[in-house]
Amino acid sequence: MKEARAMDMITMNIIESSMVSVCREMGITLMKTSYSTIFNEALDFTCAIAATDGDMLAVAEFCPAQIGGMPLLIRSILEEIPLDTIDDGDVIVHNDPYRGGLHTPEHTLFAPVFVDGKLIAFTVAIGHIAEVGGMVPGGFAAEATEIFHEGIRVPPVKIKKRGVDVDEVWKLWLANVRTPRYNYGDMRALISGVELGVARLAELIAKYGVDTFNQTCRDLMDYSEARMRAEIERIPDGRYTFEDYMDNDGLTDEEVLIHVDCFVQGGEIIVDFRGSSPQVRGPINATLGVTWSASYNAILHMTDDTIPKNSGCFRPIRVVAPRATVVNVDYPAPEVGGNTETHPRIAGAVLGALAPGVPDRAMAAEGGTHLNFVFGGHDKVNDEYFACYDIELVGWGARNFADGNDATDSINGNCRVIPVEVYETRYPWLTEEFTLLPDSGGAGQYRGGLGTTKTWLCRNAEITCSQLTDRHRHKAWGLEGGGEGANGATHFAAAGEDGTWRTMVEAFGKASTSKWANITVRSGDRIRLITPGGGGYGDAKKRARDAVREDVAEGYVSAEVARQTYGLESERGD
Amino acid sequence: MRFSDNGYYIETYIKCTNCGVLLYHPAREVPGDNDTGPYCSEWCRDWAALRASGVENPVLPLPKS
Repeated sequence: MKEARAMDMITMNIIESSMVSVCREMGITLMKTSYSTIFNEALDFTCAIAATDGDMLAVAEFCPAQIGGMPLLIRSILEEIPLDTIDDGDVIVHNDPYRGGLHTPEHTLFAPVFVDGKLIAFTVAIGHIAEVGGMVPGGFAAEATEIFHEGIRVPPVKIKKRGVDVDEVWKLWLANVRTPRYNYGDMRALISGVELGVARLAELIAKYGVDTFNQTCRDLMDYSEARMRAEIERIPDGRYTFEDYMDNDGLTDEEVLIHVDCFVQGGEIIVDFRGSSPQVRGPINATLGVTWSASYNAILHMTDDTIPKNSGCFRPIRVVAPRATVVNVDYPAPEVGGNTETHPRIAGAVLGALAPGVPDRAMAAEGGTHLNFVFGGHDKVNDEYFACYDIELVGWGARNFADGNDATDSINGNCRVIPVEVYETRYPWLTEEFTLLPDSGGAGQYRGGLGTTKTWLCRNAEITCSQLTDRHRHKAWGLEGGGEGANGATHFAAAGEDGTWRTMVEAFGKASTSKWANITVRSGDRIRLITPGGGGYGDAKKRARDAVREDVAEGYVSAEVARQTYGLESERGD
Repeated sequence: MRFSDNGYYIETYIKCTNCGVLLYHPAREVPGDNDTGPYCSEWCRDWAALRASGVENPVLPLPKS
């Protein structure tokens, strides 16, 4: 009989912390060396360490959209580039949404870690490249009907071999984007991240020895699995069902259903999306990697956040996402909005389903969009094309012990908004207004977080703009009687029209107010983005009177809503 | 997944009928009953059958990794 072996918890803790530290340093390197604001200001990337079988061993706390899909993505790469063909100094790039990827802009860089000539692990960086070619500047082709509208697709290929650039790959890729100088810099930043990780991890493995490192990684994943099972065991066994909707796919006005059944059974969860809408013609279809990531994201939100994040966490969870549905797109349907807009709705559906089982960790729905305002144009001063992917902030859902966070990136982003000063320096917009939006948080004993309003004045002769967002119709839901958050909106005012605000349907004849492509904005025109608020929790009449008065004093809640919805009879009394 | 003979492109994307993962290795595929499938595992075949049977609250432990 095999003798039971105790885990060395001290060594495990040190190696796990060191690996997370390596991942963080990879991310900081990426941030500091990149060219585009989506990396160096918004931090839309994630860095990780993976085992040679594709298991994720450690990850830093950057963008959660990319964490849960990583195991699937890594395994897809290893299916096409066998281990015995990978050499020290190689770097692999990949962005193919149909081969484990998340969406076309998300590029995965992947570098082997050799110790004494033996392949031990990989370092991984996933980052959102702002410009990928396709039908719109900035990647979010909101009117796309096939993948080829969404930019260049890169299957797993080596962009460096034994430490040397593969010129043909670089040339092919950079010939297919609008901003080659920026793309070159951002790709170099991603490569710098994984190469720094290789050096750091090799030092760590050398310090402890290969055998100890490998055994510790196995122990670490077993430990995470055991802790995740213990967390899931807190949820009573049974079937938990929830449905939510996307407004539309941008091409028609039909809502799109996300249906989930979570089957909790003795420390395991089957997350089954049977019953969700078939894949749609417009670009909001999620890849399987997105649906894995969104499901894991929701469950990580509802479980102990001190569990080390690795593939062990995911062993007690099985995601079932039938092909050719909005949660598992088939080639060649478009998908770029799946990773940003559908991910929050999928995660929200899982959170909503499981809320009755873990009420102390449940959260009402958050704004659930990144706004995805993208634009590009010609910079006459530097005589080159510019492009930007802009993320905006939404209100988060309230919990049974706290208000929702105001103006925070949606659940899968953890990104920062680009500071106004940087924005105005880098791009030809003047920010005339950037405020929290009063009354946008769903009412409740705990109030939903507030969305924002931002108004830009165009200062370039011409800018081509597009947007792929949601929640212009379906609001963020509340919990336990809490109210819905307010909708978002996007408006346009032409120069010389005395500030008349119109939707993109009204101004440009687009099919959708939230998903539209390639409008021309000229000097003096204005764009206004209103972002959705989060849902509230509990009966608004039970909200602490002092909290209502403070909300009114701060301008978060109007006096009228305080009176009518919260039942505040006067500024001073109940 | 069926690649072209030279491996340069994908001719057919093959996915598990239940969970939707890509199936790269025909030899590892699990056929279903009555010409359903392919499946990535016996667990997926059995889960699909359980859901199709209309059982309200199916229980099927995940395979040990």
